Amino acid sequence: MKKILQISLGIVTSVGGFLEIGSVTTAMQAGASFGYQLLWTLLLGTICLIFLVEMSGRLAAVSKHTIVEATRERFGFPFFFIVLVGMALVSFLVLVAELGGIGLSLQILTGIGFPWWAIPVSFAVWLMMWKGTFGLIENGASMLGLVTISFVVAALRLHPDWSSTAHGLLPTFPIDKKANYWFMAVSIIGASISPYLMYFYSSGAIEDDWDETYIPINRVIAGLGMSFGGFLSMAVLIVAALVFHPRGIDVQKFEQASLLMTTALPKWGFTLFALSMLFACFGAALEISLAIAYFFAQGFGWNWSEDLTPSKDARFCLTYTLIIVLGAIPLLLGIDPIKVTVISMALTAVALPLAIVPFLFLMNDPIYLGKHRNGWLSNTVVAIVILISFVVAIIAIPLEIIGG
Amino acid sequence: MRLVRDVLDKELFDREEEPMGRVDGLIMHVGKSSQPRITHIAIGGSTLWDRVHPFFGRLSRRMSRWWGPKRDDAVRIPWSRVITVGRDIKLDVEAKKTGAIDWELWIAHHIIERIPGSGDKEAGDGN
Amino acid sequence: MRPKRPLVIAIVLLVACKPPTPAQQMDSIQSWLATAEMVGQAWLRHTTPDKYSRQTLELSRETLAQISSDLLASLPPATDSAKLDAVLLRSRVRLDQMARLIESKNSPDFRRQLDSLAADKKIVEQISDGMPKQ
Repeated sequence: MKKILQISLGIVTSVGGFLEIGSVTTAMQAGASFGYQLLWTLLLGTICLIFLVEMSGRLAAVSKHTIVEATRERFGFPFFFIVLVGMALVSFLVLVAELGGIGLSLQILTGIGFPWWAIPVSFAVWLMMWKGTFGLIENGASMLGLVTISFVVAALRLHPDWSSTAHGLLPTFPIDKKANYWFMAVSIIGASISPYLMYFYSSGAIEDDWDETYIPINRVIAGLGMSFGGFLSMAVLIVAALVFHPRGIDVQKFEQASLLMTTALPKWGFTLFALSMLFACFGAALEISLAIAYFFAQGFGWNWSEDLTPSKDARFCLTYTLIIVLGAIPLLLGIDPIKVTVISMALTAVALPLAIVPFLFLMNDPIYLGKHRNGWLSNTVVAIVILISFVVAIIAIPLEIIGG
Repeated sequence: MRLVRDVLDKELFDREEEPMGRVDGLIMHVGKSSQPRITHIAIGGSTLWDRVHPFFGRLSRRMSRWWGPKRDDAVRIPWSRVITVGRDIKLDVEAKKTGAIDWELWIAHHIIERIPGSGDKEAGDGN
Repeated sequence: MRPKRPLVIAIVLLVACKPPTPAQQMDSIQSWLATAEMVGQAWLRHTTPDKYSRQTLELSRETLAQISSDLLASLPPATDSAKLDAVLLRSRVRLDQMARLIESKNSPDFRRQLDSLAADKKIVEQISDGMPKQ
């Protein structure tokens, strides 16, 4: 019974971690511009993420090391430092986007502009980390994220043509807007495979004292949780394809995005969208701030645990406090969070090899995993997806910029 | 035992299981007539940053003169204090007295404890 | 992986500076007219709050003003720029009035303005279809 509870909580958590402003925005823009055509990238990203999350949990359960600890120990500090700089920069941009997502949700609900929300929102996120425990954050914030199921309800109410959605699950090449198509494709991969999720998940496994008996549970949580999250993103894409694509609305602003469910669910669609984004971004902002703080603390060997009182892990708490303060600044200046989202998702795709390649080496190292090393399947799937999206990102991002 | 694989960058704990940083450097004695041998473990300070690039080492020394608990040399723990080398390294010392967690204590004292609510988080529910 | 920071800066700068083509600007204009139309319909059905609806209509108007001033300077010679200018100006005035009508909760007048906005959108579409594709 306890295991069933753990599994379901784990799945809910992973949904909370999966759906955030990045995945919703990219899925919505893809649906609005290309109909169902880009569904396959969500499928690919989700499959890859399932493998990666399963690996993160397995590494923690078997070796009692988080990814970050193992990376520093295995590759030494100078290499670790490069990974640290890259991941901290990308994750920080994503954090700004999430804080902005909370502010924008409050803006459409209240009419008060998002820059006004920058300070209260950052304070609320900080307070949650300052006073809350890991269990509270993991379970509470993500339980609220369940409201995102309304995306699936909206998709079903619009009666999509299932055969053409199925068609979108197979990769196709676009006729026009080629650069934009590939730019969207890598952004979706970047939004699906967010490295912070892996760092958060593996730290969580250590906080929850996982051992080798958790390997099967870990597999179920990673598999079901991430599929569920991917499924929700697909629902967003499908609704956008049915609502925005025929009207020629190209989603550039959050105000446009807010109309997503107003036709499918006339009475509650607007509020449900705002609440979904509010909770999903709040959960993601917590997870990212903690992931960055974990990254520093584990890398330098500081005391770290979300369950300790702040005076017991001062450097860890100082890190997330500084990050939250810095994250509020771009929003105070009124920088559009949607622009930050689009840029940060594409950059994530570029930075992925930096996070994933050393991780794959670790997952094949008998010192850390003994007989629980990776099999050929997970190695191949992850390596191919990461390398292809890196190459496509390097080509598509400059093309998108010059407007090719 | 291989020094770089099994010792360097590993996490350190004192005899009370308090974490006290990582092995940021190793100090070796190269005698004229004797075999080279490890004499100390170095923790923190510019030792770590020198490994990335001397520029960061200089930056770290300058920063620590300007701000913090005024410690710019790495803490040295004699190799004889090493109890076990495994997943982590256990040392027969008391973390507080070695100076390895000076920064942690300094930040706790000067910043974190001045923010309300820093000492009374609801006890973890143990999950 | 060293040149990461310059890359970020370069991308931010380039995204900010990239000049869109006339065809892309026409797409944005249609996208924002469609957005305004959708908000209008939603407001009439009581599915979106007043404040949000008003702000979004204003945002559409501001964005349209911005795009059209850039666009009219760079239109290909074959296009009927006088007609486009007139219809865009008219829609902007309409959007402004619609935002006010929300404040006074005047649905019948709002509906009339919305219908005329839809007609203007059709005209913009026709002009856009007549433009040389790149």
